[in-house]
Amino acid sequence: MRPPITPLAPRPSQYGIDPSLVKTRASDLPGMTSVMLRELFPDLPEVIFPCEEGVAAIRKATEESLENVDMSMIKPEHSVNILAAHHGFTLLGGEPYAEMLKTIKDVIEARTGCKSIRLRAGVGLRFRETEEYIKRYGLDQHFNGKAIGVAPVDQGIAIETEVGTLYGIKKIYDADWVVHAHNSDVREVHFHRQVDRAVKPFGMAYARIETRSTYHQNLGPRAANFTARAIFDSPFVQSKFAFASFLTVAPNGIINVDADNDLYALNDRITQSGLRYYGKIMTLFGEIDECIAVLDFPCPVVYVFAAGVIYANFAGANTDLYDLDTALPAYTWYTEAFYGKRGKPLLDEIPRVNPAIKMCVHNYAWTGYPSAFFSEHIPTVVVGQEQADHFNMDPQNLTYMKHAMVAEDLKAAMEFAYKVTGTNKAVIFDGAMGGINVSKPLAEFLLKKAPEVSKRVDEELLPKWLRQRGVIL
Amino acid sequence: MKVINQLAVVDAEKCRGCKTCERVCPVLAIKMENRKAVVDNERCRGCANCEQRCPDYAIKMVKLEQPVLVKVDVSAVDYALVEDLCRKAKFNPEQLICYCTATRAEEVAAAILQGARSPEEISFLTGVRTGCKVECIQPILRLLEAAGIKPEPPKGGWQWYGRTVTVWEIPEEVKKKYASRGFYFDEDIKILDRVANAPVQERSDS
Ligand code: SF4
Ligand code: SF4
Repeated sequence: MRPPITPLAPRPSQYGIDPSLVKTRASDLPGMTSVMLRELFPDLPEVIFPCEEGVAAIRKATEESLENVDMSMIKPEHSVNILAAHHGFTLLGGEPYAEMLKTIKDVIEARTGCKSIRLRAGVGLRFRETEEYIKRYGLDQHFNGKAIGVAPVDQGIAIETEVGTLYGIKKIYDADWVVHAHNSDVREVHFHRQVDRAVKPFGMAYARIETRSTYHQNLGPRAANFTARAIFDSPFVQSKFAFASFLTVAPNGIINVDADNDLYALNDRITQSGLRYYGKIMTLFGEIDECIAVLDFPCPVVYVFAAGVIYANFAGANTDLYDLDTALPAYTWYTEAFYGKRGKPLLDEIPRVNPAIKMCVHNYAWTGYPSAFFSEHIPTVVVGQEQADHFNMDPQNLTYMKHAMVAEDLKAAMEFAYKVTGTNKAVIFDGAMGGINVSKPLAEFLLKKAPEVSKRVDEELLPKWLRQRGVIL
Repeated sequence: MKVINQLAVVDAEKCRGCKTCERVCPVLAIKMENRKAVVDNERCRGCANCEQRCPDYAIKMVKLEQPVLVKVDVSAVDYALVEDLCRKAKFNPEQLICYCTATRAEEVAAAILQGARSPEEISFLTGVRTGCKVECIQPILRLLEAAGIKPEPPKGGWQWYGRTVTVWEIPEEVKKKYASRGFYFDEDIKILDRVANAPVQERSDS
């Protein structure tokens, strides 16, 4: 069995505990091993990152993909906003996304002579998160001081759409042109269900609270995805949209950079790759019969990664997240909202949280996302009193610790988890690149199950998923 | 319902009077005095919006020695009226409308029935929209509208701009145009209706 993969180091951030408090990483515990994702699914694509060349490979791929993009609408006297979002900075250490952003700026400047190129980086629910990344990756310098983080509570702008007025963040659109710089990593499949994934930031990271609330409260679990399309298709946004550039991502790394003046053409391409590659990992995760989930990554509870899949998706892996005939995944905000006062869903048909997760050991994960649903429905042990205190001071997590226990250290937490659950299978959400860190029995389990899952996705599930989205291969 | 365990404190030395904090505070707890931000401690709901948006990092969140519970007593109003109002806005009374504070539609409805007339008053009384400050503005506006109230956004503020479309209001031609792209409008109406009309698990007045 392979040794575990070294995970990303803890990051200093106002949303997490001080890195010095993360004393032990879960991958360093006895009995842990790793499985490479291409061992599980040999048809996963070749990746350009991680690689020996480092981010130079990303610069090269960005330059090549931009060669096919029309930039003639951008005149030297114009202004351009390159639109980014926090999510990209959580992928493979964040440098690849930062490098793509820098390269887009350099190419636009060289090709069009335009000098007024700014970076506008949207956020989720941690309003200063991209501010932190802008500093960490030197983006403020690269954009000559014209790089800012924007939040959904910042001044808004009304956008007329075919379903009425929606609201964007004013600073996102305060240029002649906007360039949509994103990635195809699937992340919140429980929300977007791989429908218009490429368009989503127009209804989320670039949008005001009214719009985000429309998505999460007014439209329903599947119709929600129309929010972004309504905004993107509006005459206002169309009059400013220049092109999009995406890191295309698979669970094992970055496949390439894809740029296009036609966002929907790009969207169809990433829908296919998202369903094909992530669909297999997600389906394999759904096969796990029992396990302990260990959170160990610098991101909020829901967003910690294993094999390119986030914990929130594992919590719903007992349902097929890609099957649009299933209205509600076991975790999504609509599902969470539909639990009544007795702690049970209001309708019998609403699925419960993945029963395979016998316990969650929270070694290291951030605040800044309402996560009490997880500790309420999955027995959770948080490592270290400092981390518990940190959650208690987060306005979004005031009751997270009400349902969780505190362990002094990771070793004690894991011993407790193994003993109480009786399982010897553990999966670590630590963002290990190219593979997945797991306990030995789980490694054997995954290797045994993968071939059948691969066949089922190729032959049965993928054709259905594509059909449901109107994407023709 | 929310337990307030922290307050915003302004460092007057650092404050440059830009008014950002005043414009984002969901309960209107910040006023400018002599071009400096001043927090009304009795109103502050500890949401950290001001602290997160101040361009000069002039605001800190400080832990309260004695946490304060804010909550509207649902049992003080006729539950039949609460239920009516929620269902008119197409919510189940027990449906969570604020994930951070676990506030249910019934509590917001009760606040409205007891006289709250704006999202700011509702946030002040229930704590709703003082967690993430993002996701729950539409349910509040829908419940106010169902009660026949049309609030105006705070003048000059960025707190909120307006109610937006619900799935029940999506035009038929839009549904038809995008029928094959996976949005499932009519199917989602069915599930939301079933939830809104599901029986409550535990009445607050019982
Ligand atoms: S946002 Fe900061 S600088 Fe601006 S008025 Fe408030 S405290 Fe002062
Ligand atoms: S309620 Fe929020 S925005 Fe208003 S003063 Fe308190 S912490 Fe600041």
